[in-house]
Amino acid sequence: MEQTTIAFDEILDVQGLKCPMPLVKSRRAVGNIDVGNVLKVVATDRGSVADFQGWAKTAKNMELLEQEEVQENGTTLYVHYLRRTK
Amino acid sequence: MAVADLNVDVAVSARTAKQLYADLLSERQQFILDVRNEDDFERWGIEGRKSLEVLNIPYFNFIEEEDDSVAQVPTDADVLVVCAKEGSSQFVAAILQERGIEAAYLQDGIVSWGNLYDARDVVDAGYGRIVQVARPARGDLSFVVISDGEAAIVDPLRHIEHYLDVVSEAGASVTHIFDTHAHADHISGGPALNEETGAPYYMHPYDAIHPLDMLPGTIDYNYLSDGQTFTVGQFEVKVIWFPGHTLGQVNYLFTAPSGESFLFSGDGVFLNSFGRPDLGGKGEAWTPILYQSLYERLPQHLNEDTLILPAHFSTLDEGDENGVFTAAWGEVKAQNRSLQPRSLEEFSEYVLGNLPTFPKEYVEIKRVNAGLLQPDEEKASELELGKNICALADA
Repeated sequence: MEQTTIAFDEILDVQGLKCPMPLVKSRRAVGNIDVGNVLKVVATDRGSVADFQGWAKTAKNMELLEQEEVQENGTTLYVHYLRRTK
Repeated sequence: MAVADLNVDVAVSARTAKQLYADLLSERQQFILDVRNEDDFERWGIEGRKSLEVLNIPYFNFIEEEDDSVAQVPTDADVLVVCAKEGSSQFVAAILQERGIEAAYLQDGIVSWGNLYDARDVVDAGYGRIVQVARPARGDLSFVVISDGEAAIVDPLRHIEHYLDVVSEAGASVTHIFDTHAHADHISGGPALNEETGAPYYMHPYDAIHPLDMLPGTIDYNYLSDGQTFTVGQFEVKVIWFPGHTLGQVNYLFTAPSGESFLFSGDGVFLNSFGRPDLGGKGEAWTPILYQSLYERLPQHLNEDTLILPAHFSTLDEGDENGVFTAAWGEVKAQNRSLQPRSLEEFSEYVLGNLPTFPKEYVEIKRVNAGLLQPDEEKASELELGKNICALADA
Protein backbone atom coordinates (compact mmCIF):
# COMPACT_ATOMS: atom_id res chain seq x y z
CA MET A 1 0.00 0.00 0.00
CA GLU A 2 1.56 3.24 -1.14
CA GLN A 3 1.09 6.40 0.78
CA THR A 4 -1.41 8.60 -1.01
CA THR A 5 -2.72 12.10 -0.56
CA ILE A 6 -6.45 11.63 -0.64
CA ALA A 7 -8.43 14.69 0.40
CA PHE A 8 -10.76 14.01 3.32
CA ASP A 9 -13.40 15.94 5.25
CA GLU A 10 -13.58 14.15 8.59
CA ILE A 11 -11.24 11.95 10.55
CA LEU A 12 -12.11 9.05 12.87
CA ASP A 13 -9.49 7.73 15.23
CA VAL A 14 -10.06 4.06 16.16
CA GLN A 15 -6.50 3.30 17.24
CA GLY A 16 -6.32 0.60 19.89
CA LEU A 17 -9.81 -0.67 19.13
CA LYS A 18 -10.28 -4.25 18.10
CA CYS A 19 -12.66 -5.93 15.74
CA PRO A 20 -15.58 -5.23 15.31
CA MET A 21 -15.31 -1.73 16.81
CA PRO A 22 -13.33 0.03 14.03
CA LEU A 23 -16.00 -1.01 11.57
CA VAL A 24 -18.97 -0.38 13.87
CA LYS A 25 -17.75 3.16 14.61
CA SER A 26 -16.87 3.84 10.98
CA ARG A 27 -20.30 2.87 9.83
CA ARG A 28 -21.89 5.23 12.33
CA ALA A 29 -19.49 8.01 11.34
CA VAL A 30 -20.20 7.55 7.62
CA GLY A 31 -23.90 8.02 8.42
CA ASN A 32 -23.09 11.33 10.07
CA ILE A 33 -21.11 12.98 7.26
CA ASP A 34 -22.62 14.66 4.18
CA VAL A 35 -23.20 12.65 1.03
CA GLY A 36 -20.09 12.92 -1.17
CA ASN A 37 -17.77 13.67 1.74
CA VAL A 38 -14.78 11.53 2.67
CA LEU A 39 -14.02 10.02 6.08
CA LYS A 40 -10.47 9.09 6.96
CA VAL A 41 -10.32 6.21 9.47
CA VAL A 42 -7.08 5.55 11.36
CA ALA A 43 -6.87 2.06 12.88
CA THR A 44 -4.24 -0.17 14.45
CA ASP A 45 -6.12 -3.43 13.92
CA ARG A 46 -4.48 -5.21 10.98
CA GLY A 47 -7.63 -7.22 10.36
CA SER A 48 -9.41 -4.00 9.44
CA VAL A 49 -7.73 -3.97 6.02
CA ALA A 50 -9.45 -7.11 4.68
CA ASP A 51 -12.63 -6.43 6.67
CA PHE A 52 -13.11 -2.93 5.21
CA GLN A 53 -12.66 -4.40 1.73
CA GLY A 54 -15.32 -7.01 2.47
CA TRP A 55 -17.62 -4.44 4.02
CA ALA A 56 -17.28 -2.17 0.96
CA LYS A 57 -18.69 -4.98 -1.20
CA THR A 58 -21.95 -5.11 0.76
CA ALA A 59 -22.19 -1.54 2.02
CA LYS A 60 -25.18 0.46 0.75
CA ASN A 61 -24.02 4.01 1.30
CA MET A 62 -20.23 3.94 1.23
CA GLU A 63 -17.35 3.31 -1.13
CA LEU A 64 -13.78 2.49 -0.11
CA LEU A 65 -11.51 4.90 -1.99
CA GLU A 66 -8.12 3.88 -0.71
CA GLN A 67 -6.25 2.06 2.03
CA GLU A 68 -2.73 2.74 3.23
CA GLU A 69 -0.27 1.40 5.75
CA VAL A 70 1.70 4.08 7.60
CA GLN A 71 4.51 3.72 10.14
CA GLU A 72 4.24 6.23 12.97
CA ASN A 73 6.46 6.17 16.06
CA GLY A 74 7.01 2.46 15.73
CA THR A 75 3.29 1.71 15.33
CA THR A 76 1.74 0.49 12.09
CA LEU A 77 -1.38 2.43 11.22
CA TYR A 78 -4.00 1.13 8.82
CA VAL A 79 -5.73 4.07 7.19
CA HIS A 80 -8.98 3.78 5.25
CA TYR A 81 -10.67 6.47 3.15
CA LEU A 82 -14.43 6.04 2.87
CA ARG A 83 -16.82 8.17 0.82
CA ARG A 84 -20.49 8.43 1.66
CA THR A 85 -22.40 7.76 -1.57
CA LYS A 86 -26.03 8.09 -0.45
CA MET B 1 -14.34 -5.56 24.77
CA ALA B 2 -17.48 -4.90 26.73
CA VAL B 3 -20.60 -5.88 24.90
CA ALA B 4 -22.16 -2.70 26.32
CA ASP B 5 -19.97 -0.70 23.89
CA LEU B 6 -22.09 -2.11 21.14
CA ASN B 7 -25.40 -1.16 22.70
CA VAL B 8 -26.24 -4.81 23.16
CA ASP B 9 -27.34 -5.90 26.61
CA VAL B 10 -27.42 -9.64 26.17
CA ALA B 11 -25.07 -11.96 28.01
CA VAL B 12 -23.47 -14.45 25.68
CA SER B 13 -21.56 -17.48 26.81
CA ALA B 14 -18.07 -18.38 25.75
CA ARG B 15 -16.87 -21.79 24.70
CA THR B 16 -13.21 -22.78 24.73
CA ALA B 17 -11.42 -24.53 21.87
CA LYS B 18 -11.05 -27.58 24.10
CA GLN B 19 -14.82 -27.74 24.69
CA LEU B 20 -15.38 -27.21 20.99
CA TYR B 21 -13.16 -30.18 20.14
CA ALA B 22 -15.11 -32.43 22.52
CA ASP B 23 -18.36 -31.16 20.99
CA LEU B 24 -17.12 -31.81 17.46
CA LEU B 25 -16.05 -35.36 18.32
CA SER B 26 -19.38 -36.15 19.99
CA GLU B 27 -21.32 -34.28 17.27
CA ARG B 28 -23.02 -32.19 19.94
CA GLN B 29 -21.98 -29.09 18.01
CA GLN B 30 -24.03 -29.22 14.80
CA PHE B 31 -23.75 -25.69 13.51
CA ILE B 32 -20.94 -23.12 13.30
CA LEU B 33 -21.39 -19.57 12.11
CA ASP B 34 -18.05 -18.20 10.94
CA VAL B 35 -18.20 -14.39 10.80
CA ARG B 36 -14.72 -13.71 9.39
CA ASN B 37 -14.41 -12.11 5.98
CA GLU B 38 -14.80 -14.40 2.97
CA ASP B 39 -11.10 -14.53 2.07
CA ASP B 40 -10.08 -15.65 5.53
CA PHE B 41 -12.88 -18.18 5.60
CA GLU B 42 -11.80 -19.64 2.28
CA ARG B 43 -8.22 -19.96 3.45
CA TRP B 44 -9.17 -22.18 6.37
CA GLY B 45 -11.92 -22.87 8.87
CA ILE B 46 -13.17 -25.29 11.47
CA GLU B 47 -13.92 -28.77 10.19
CA GLY B 48 -15.80 -31.41 12.11
CA ARG B 49 -17.40 -34.71 11.34
CA LYS B 50 -19.47 -35.02 8.20
CA SER B 51 -22.65 -33.89 9.96
CA LEU B 52 -21.25 -30.48 10.93
CA GLU B 53 -22.70 -27.51 9.11
CA VAL B 54 -20.54 -24.40 8.76
CA LEU B 55 -21.91 -21.14 7.39
CA ASN B 56 -19.91 -18.01 6.58
CA ILE B 57 -21.64 -14.66 7.03
CA PRO B 58 -19.08 -11.89 7.67
CA TYR B 59 -19.82 -9.84 10.81
CA PHE B 60 -20.03 -6.65 8.76
CA ASN B 61 -23.04 -8.11 6.97
CA PHE B 62 -24.75 -8.19 10.37
CA ILE B 63 -23.85 -4.52 10.76
CA GLU B 64 -24.95 -3.56 7.26
CA GLU B 65 -27.95 -5.87 6.79
CA GLU B 66 -28.92 -7.23 10.17
CA ASP B 67 -32.34 -8.63 9.25
CA ASP B 68 -31.19 -10.42 6.11
CA SER B 69 -28.15 -11.85 7.85
CA VAL B 70 -30.08 -13.14 10.87
CA ALA B 71 -32.64 -14.72 8.54
CA GLN B 72 -29.94 -16.98 7.09
CA VAL B 73 -29.18 -18.54 10.49
CA PRO B 74 -31.29 -21.57 11.43
CA THR B 75 -33.43 -20.74 14.45
CA ASP B 76 -33.42 -24.23 15.93
CA ALA B 77 -29.67 -24.81 16.01
CA ASP B 78 -27.32 -24.29 18.93
CA VAL B 79 -25.05 -21.81 17.13
CA LEU B 80 -21.37 -21.35 17.86
CA VAL B 81 -20.15 -18.05 16.42
CA VAL B 82 -16.49 -17.89 15.42
CA CYS B 83 -14.29 -15.01 14.28
CA ALA B 84 -10.58 -14.26 14.05
CA LYS B 85 -9.99 -13.18 17.63
CA GLU B 86 -13.27 -13.06 19.55
CA GLY B 87 -14.81 -9.56 19.46
CA SER B 88 -16.93 -9.88 16.35
CA SER B 89 -18.24 -13.30 17.31
CA GLN B 90 -19.31 -11.92 20.68
CA PHE B 91 -21.05 -9.09 18.86
CA VAL B 92 -22.90 -11.38 16.44
CA ALA B 93 -23.79 -13.93 19.15
CA ALA B 94 -25.39 -11.11 21.14
CA ILE B 95 -27.47 -10.06 18.12
CA LEU B 96 -28.63 -13.66 17.64
CA GLN B 97 -29.46 -14.11 21.34
CA GLU B 98 -31.52 -10.94 21.21
CA ARG B 99 -33.45 -12.44 18.32
CA GLY B 100 -34.11 -15.61 20.31
CA ILE B 101 -31.47 -17.81 18.66
CA GLU B 102 -29.33 -19.83 21.06
CA ALA B 103 -25.75 -18.68 20.41
CA ALA B 104 -22.34 -18.84 22.09
CA TYR B 105 -18.96 -17.64 20.84
CA LEU B 106 -15.55 -19.24 20.60
CA GLN B 107 -13.28 -17.79 23.25
CA ASP B 108 -10.10 -16.20 21.81
CA GLY B 109 -11.31 -16.83 18.29
CA ILE B 110 -10.22 -19.26 15.64
CA VAL B 111 -6.58 -18.70 16.59
CA SER B 112 -7.20 -20.66 19.79
CA TRP B 113 -8.70 -23.50 17.76
CA GLY B 114 -5.64 -23.47 15.50
CA ASN B 115 -3.34 -23.74 18.51
CA LEU B 116 -5.28 -26.42 20.39
CA TYR B 117 -3.34 -29.56 21.25
CA ASP B 118 -5.07 -32.69 22.49
CA ALA B 119 -3.23 -35.51 24.25
CA ARG B 120 -4.81 -38.92 24.81
CA ASP B 121 -3.72 -42.51 25.31
CA VAL B 122 -3.74 -44.93 22.41
CA VAL B 123 -2.19 -47.69 24.50
CA ASP B 124 -1.85 -47.95 28.26
CA ALA B 125 -0.33 -51.33 29.09
CA GLY B 126 2.03 -52.88 31.60
CA TYR B 127 4.98 -52.48 29.25
CA GLY B 128 4.28 -48.81 28.54
CA ARG B 129 2.07 -46.12 27.10
CA ILE B 130 1.58 -44.57 23.69
CA VAL B 131 0.11 -41.08 23.87
CA GLN B 132 -1.27 -39.41 20.76
CA VAL B 133 -0.69 -35.64 20.73
CA ALA B 134 -2.94 -34.11 18.08
CA ARG B 135 -3.28 -30.60 16.74
CA PRO B 136 -6.84 -31.11 15.46
CA ALA B 137 -7.23 -27.90 13.42
CA ARG B 138 -4.27 -28.90 11.27
CA GLY B 139 -4.96 -32.62 11.16
CA ASP B 140 -1.52 -33.20 12.67
CA LEU B 141 -0.70 -36.20 14.84
CA SER B 142 2.41 -36.87 16.89
CA PHE B 143 3.22 -39.31 19.66
CA VAL B 144 4.96 -39.90 22.94
CA VAL B 145 5.98 -43.46 23.76
CA ILE B 146 6.77 -44.02 27.42
CA SER B 147 8.23 -47.18 28.93
CA ASP B 148 10.26 -47.74 32.10
CA GLY B 149 10.89 -44.03 32.59
CA GLU B 150 12.12 -43.49 29.04
CA ALA B 151 10.20 -41.40 26.55
CA ALA B 152 10.52 -41.27 22.77
CA ILE B 153 8.77 -38.46 20.94
CA VAL B 154 7.71 -39.13 17.36
CA ASP B 155 7.11 -36.28 14.88
CA PRO B 156 6.86 -33.52 17.49
CA LEU B 157 5.09 -30.33 16.42
CA ARG B 158 6.28 -26.82 17.07
CA HIS B 159 4.78 -26.21 20.53
CA ILE B 160 7.06 -28.49 22.50
CA GLU B 161 5.62 -27.70 25.93
CA HIS B 162 2.79 -30.16 25.25
CA TYR B 163 5.26 -33.08 24.97
CA LEU B 164 7.28 -31.98 27.95
CA ASP B 165 4.04 -31.91 29.99
CA VAL B 166 3.10 -35.46 28.98
CA VAL B 167 6.60 -36.71 29.75
CA SER B 168 6.94 -34.97 33.12
CA GLU B 169 3.45 -36.00 34.24
CA ALA B 170 4.52 -39.58 33.58
CA GLY B 171 7.70 -39.04 35.59
CA ALA B 172 9.78 -40.00 32.57
CA SER B 173 12.59 -38.32 30.69
CA VAL B 174 13.04 -37.83 26.97
CA THR B 175 15.60 -40.22 25.53
CA HIS B 176 14.84 -40.17 21.77
CA ILE B 177 13.37 -37.58 19.40
CA PHE B 178 12.32 -39.28 16.17
CA ASP B 179 11.20 -37.39 13.07
CA THR B 180 9.84 -39.59 10.30
CA HIS B 181 10.88 -37.03 7.69
CA ALA B 182 11.49 -33.35 6.95
CA HIS B 183 7.94 -32.04 7.15
CA ALA B 184 6.60 -29.59 4.59
CA ASP B 185 3.34 -28.62 6.28
CA HIS B 186 4.49 -27.78 9.79
CA ILE B 187 7.55 -26.73 11.69
CA SER B 188 9.15 -29.61 13.53
CA GLY B 189 9.57 -29.40 17.29
CA GLY B 190 12.55 -31.79 17.05
CA PRO B 191 15.45 -29.33 17.15
CA ALA B 192 13.83 -27.30 19.96
CA LEU B 193 13.19 -30.45 22.01
CA ASN B 194 16.78 -31.50 21.43
CA GLU B 195 17.96 -28.16 22.76
CA GLU B 196 15.59 -28.31 25.73
CA THR B 197 16.19 -31.92 26.80
CA GLY B 198 19.56 -32.84 25.31
CA ALA B 199 18.02 -36.03 23.88
CA PRO B 200 19.27 -36.89 20.39
CA TYR B 201 17.19 -35.79 17.42
CA TYR B 202 17.03 -38.45 14.72
CA MET B 203 16.25 -38.17 11.04
CA HIS B 204 17.46 -39.66 7.78
CA PRO B 205 20.32 -37.73 6.13
CA TYR B 206 18.53 -37.56 2.77
CA ASP B 207 15.98 -35.27 4.41
CA ALA B 208 18.59 -32.85 5.69
CA ILE B 209 18.93 -31.47 2.17
CA HIS B 210 16.29 -29.05 0.93
CA PRO B 211 15.01 -30.82 -2.21
CA LEU B 212 13.98 -27.67 -4.10
CA ASP B 213 16.81 -25.36 -3.08
CA MET B 214 19.33 -28.24 -3.24
CA LEU B 215 21.01 -26.77 -0.20
CA PRO B 216 22.38 -28.66 2.79
CA GLY B 217 20.51 -28.14 6.07
CA THR B 218 22.22 -26.67 9.09
CA ILE B 219 20.26 -28.42 11.84
CA ASP B 220 21.97 -30.59 14.37
CA TYR B 221 20.69 -34.16 14.07
CA ASN B 222 21.71 -37.81 14.32
CA TYR B 223 21.82 -39.90 11.15
CA LEU B 224 19.43 -42.79 10.72
CA SER B 225 19.92 -45.75 8.42
CA ASP B 226 17.54 -48.41 7.15
CA GLY B 227 17.24 -51.30 9.60
CA GLN B 228 18.81 -49.43 12.51
CA THR B 229 17.47 -50.50 15.91
CA PHE B 230 16.89 -48.80 19.25
CA THR B 231 15.34 -49.70 22.55
CA VAL B 232 12.95 -47.41 24.40
CA GLY B 233 12.22 -48.97 27.78
CA GLN B 234 10.69 -52.35 26.92
CA PHE B 235 10.06 -51.48 23.27
CA GLU B 236 12.30 -52.66 20.44
CA VAL B 237 12.39 -50.06 17.68
CA LYS B 238 13.28 -50.71 14.06
CA VAL B 239 13.83 -48.04 11.42
CA ILE B 240 12.22 -48.82 8.07
CA TRP B 241 13.34 -46.59 5.21
CA PHE B 242 10.24 -45.52 3.28
CA PRO B 243 11.23 -43.12 0.50
CA GLY B 244 8.61 -41.54 -1.76
CA HIS B 245 6.93 -38.68 0.09
CA THR B 246 10.45 -37.48 0.81
CA LEU B 247 13.66 -39.32 -0.08
CA GLY B 248 14.62 -39.78 3.54
CA GLN B 249 11.30 -40.66 5.10
CA VAL B 250 11.43 -43.53 7.61
CA ASN B 251 8.78 -45.39 9.55
CA TYR B 252 9.41 -46.51 13.12
CA LEU B 253 8.22 -49.98 14.07
CA PHE B 254 7.86 -50.34 17.85
CA THR B 255 7.47 -53.89 19.17
CA ALA B 256 6.36 -54.56 22.75
CA PRO B 257 7.45 -57.62 24.78
CA SER B 258 3.92 -59.00 24.21
CA GLY B 259 4.65 -59.13 20.49
CA GLU B 260 2.20 -56.30 19.74
CA SER B 261 3.61 -53.91 17.18
CA PHE B 262 3.02 -50.26 16.37
CA LEU B 263 4.07 -48.49 13.21
CA PHE B 264 4.62 -44.73 13.27
CA SER B 265 4.04 -44.24 9.57
CA GLY B 266 4.59 -40.48 9.32
CA ASP B 267 3.41 -39.27 5.92
CA GLY B 268 3.70 -42.75 4.43
CA VAL B 269 0.52 -44.73 5.01
CA PHE B 270 -2.46 -42.70 6.27
CA LEU B 271 -5.68 -44.38 7.39
CA ASN B 272 -7.52 -43.40 4.23
CA SER B 273 -4.73 -42.31 1.90
CA PHE B 274 -0.95 -41.97 1.75
CA GLY B 275 1.57 -39.16 1.51
CA ARG B 276 1.88 -37.40 -1.84
CA PRO B 277 5.21 -37.78 -3.70
CA ASP B 278 5.42 -34.31 -5.26
CA LEU B 279 6.28 -31.95 -2.38
CA GLY B 280 9.97 -32.25 -3.22
CA GLY B 281 9.17 -30.92 -6.70
CA LYS B 282 9.85 -34.25 -8.43
CA GLY B 283 6.54 -36.08 -8.33
CA GLU B 284 7.06 -38.11 -11.48
CA ALA B 285 10.49 -39.33 -10.48
CA TRP B 286 9.49 -40.13 -6.92
CA THR B 287 6.22 -41.93 -7.66
CA PRO B 288 7.89 -45.29 -8.56
CA ILE B 289 9.99 -45.00 -5.39
CA LEU B 290 6.83 -44.47 -3.37
CA TYR B 291 5.27 -47.47 -5.09
CA GLN B 292 8.15 -49.69 -3.96
CA SER B 293 7.93 -48.39 -0.41
CA LEU B 294 4.18 -48.96 -0.18
CA TYR B 295 3.90 -52.32 -1.89
CA GLU B 296 7.29 -53.94 -1.30
CA ARG B 297 9.49 -52.37 1.35
CA LEU B 298 6.95 -51.80 4.13
CA PRO B 299 4.52 -54.79 4.09
CA GLN B 300 7.24 -57.38 4.82
CA HIS B 301 7.75 -55.82 8.27
CA LEU B 302 4.09 -55.76 9.31
CA ASN B 303 1.46 -58.24 10.39
CA GLU B 304 -2.31 -57.84 10.14
CA ASP B 305 -2.51 -56.59 13.74
CA THR B 306 0.25 -53.98 13.56
CA LEU B 307 -1.32 -50.73 14.66
CA ILE B 308 -0.78 -47.93 12.15
CA LEU B 309 -0.21 -44.49 13.73
CA PRO B 310 0.09 -41.86 10.99
CA ALA B 311 1.22 -38.22 11.26
CA HIS B 312 -2.00 -36.84 9.76
CA PHE B 313 -5.72 -37.37 9.48
CA SER B 314 -7.87 -35.92 6.70
CA THR B 315 -11.19 -35.70 8.54
CA LEU B 316 -12.35 -36.26 12.11
CA ASP B 317 -14.37 -39.22 10.85
CA GLU B 318 -11.11 -41.17 10.45
CA GLY B 319 -10.83 -41.29 14.22
CA ASP B 320 -12.92 -43.05 16.83
CA GLU B 321 -15.37 -41.29 19.18
CA ASN B 322 -12.47 -40.28 21.44
CA GLY B 323 -10.38 -38.75 18.68
CA VAL B 324 -7.83 -41.55 18.45
CA PHE B 325 -6.61 -41.99 14.88
CA THR B 326 -5.33 -45.51 14.46
CA ALA B 327 -6.24 -48.82 12.85
CA ALA B 328 -4.70 -52.27 12.40
CA TRP B 329 -2.74 -52.85 9.19
CA GLY B 330 -5.23 -55.51 8.05
CA GLU B 331 -8.05 -53.03 8.44
CA VAL B 332 -6.15 -50.23 6.71
CA LYS B 333 -5.41 -52.46 3.72
CA ALA B 334 -9.10 -53.36 3.45
CA GLN B 335 -10.49 -49.84 3.88
CA ASN B 336 -7.92 -47.52 2.36
CA ARG B 337 -8.94 -47.24 -1.28
CA SER B 338 -5.63 -45.62 -2.23
CA LEU B 339 -3.81 -48.79 -1.20
CA GLN B 340 -5.72 -51.21 -3.41
CA PRO B 341 -3.48 -53.42 -5.56
CA ARG B 342 -2.28 -51.59 -8.67
CA SER B 343 0.43 -52.05 -11.26
CA LEU B 344 3.13 -49.40 -11.26
CA GLU B 345 1.55 -47.89 -14.34
CA GLU B 346 -1.92 -47.72 -12.77
CA PHE B 347 -0.41 -46.40 -9.57
CA SER B 348 1.45 -43.58 -11.36
CA GLU B 349 -1.65 -42.58 -13.23
CA TYR B 350 -3.70 -42.61 -10.04
CA VAL B 351 -1.17 -40.63 -8.01
CA LEU B 352 -0.25 -38.04 -10.60
CA GLY B 353 -3.90 -37.53 -11.45
CA ASN B 354 -4.86 -36.81 -7.85
CA LEU B 355 -2.27 -34.35 -6.64
CA PRO B 356 -3.86 -31.49 -4.70
CA THR B 357 -2.56 -27.91 -4.84
CA PHE B 358 1.01 -27.29 -3.75
CA PRO B 359 0.83 -24.65 -0.99
CA LYS B 360 3.62 -22.16 -1.57
CA GLU B 361 4.37 -22.01 2.17
CA TYR B 362 5.55 -25.62 2.04
CA VAL B 363 8.80 -24.66 0.35
CA GLU B 364 9.52 -22.22 3.15
CA ILE B 365 8.50 -24.60 5.93
CA LYS B 366 11.00 -27.13 4.58
CA ARG B 367 13.63 -24.38 4.76
CA VAL B 368 12.76 -23.83 8.42
CA ASN B 369 13.00 -27.55 9.12
CA ALA B 370 16.40 -27.73 7.43
CA GLY B 371 17.62 -24.81 9.52
CA LEU B 372 17.90 -22.53 6.48
CA LEU B 373 15.35 -20.03 7.78
CA GLN B 374 14.51 -18.83 11.31
CA PRO B 375 10.99 -17.40 11.47
CA ASP B 376 9.71 -15.35 14.39
CA GLU B 377 6.50 -16.43 16.14
CA GLU B 378 4.22 -14.38 13.90
CA LYS B 379 5.81 -15.74 10.73
CA ALA B 380 5.75 -19.29 12.11
CA SER B 381 2.01 -19.16 12.83
CA GLU B 382 1.36 -17.64 9.46
CA LEU B 383 3.26 -20.46 7.73
CA GLU B 384 1.23 -23.03 9.65
CA LEU B 385 -2.18 -21.52 9.00
CA GLY B 386 -4.94 -23.97 8.18
CA LYS B 387 -4.98 -27.67 7.56
CA ASN B 388 -2.23 -29.82 6.09
CA ILE B 389 -2.44 -30.98 2.48
CA CYS B 390 -0.03 -33.88 2.62
CA ALA B 391 -2.34 -36.62 1.33
CA LEU B 392 -3.60 -37.33 -2.16
CA ALA B 393 -6.74 -35.40 -3.12
CA ASP B 394 -8.89 -38.43 -3.80
CA ALA B 395 -8.69 -39.86 -0.30
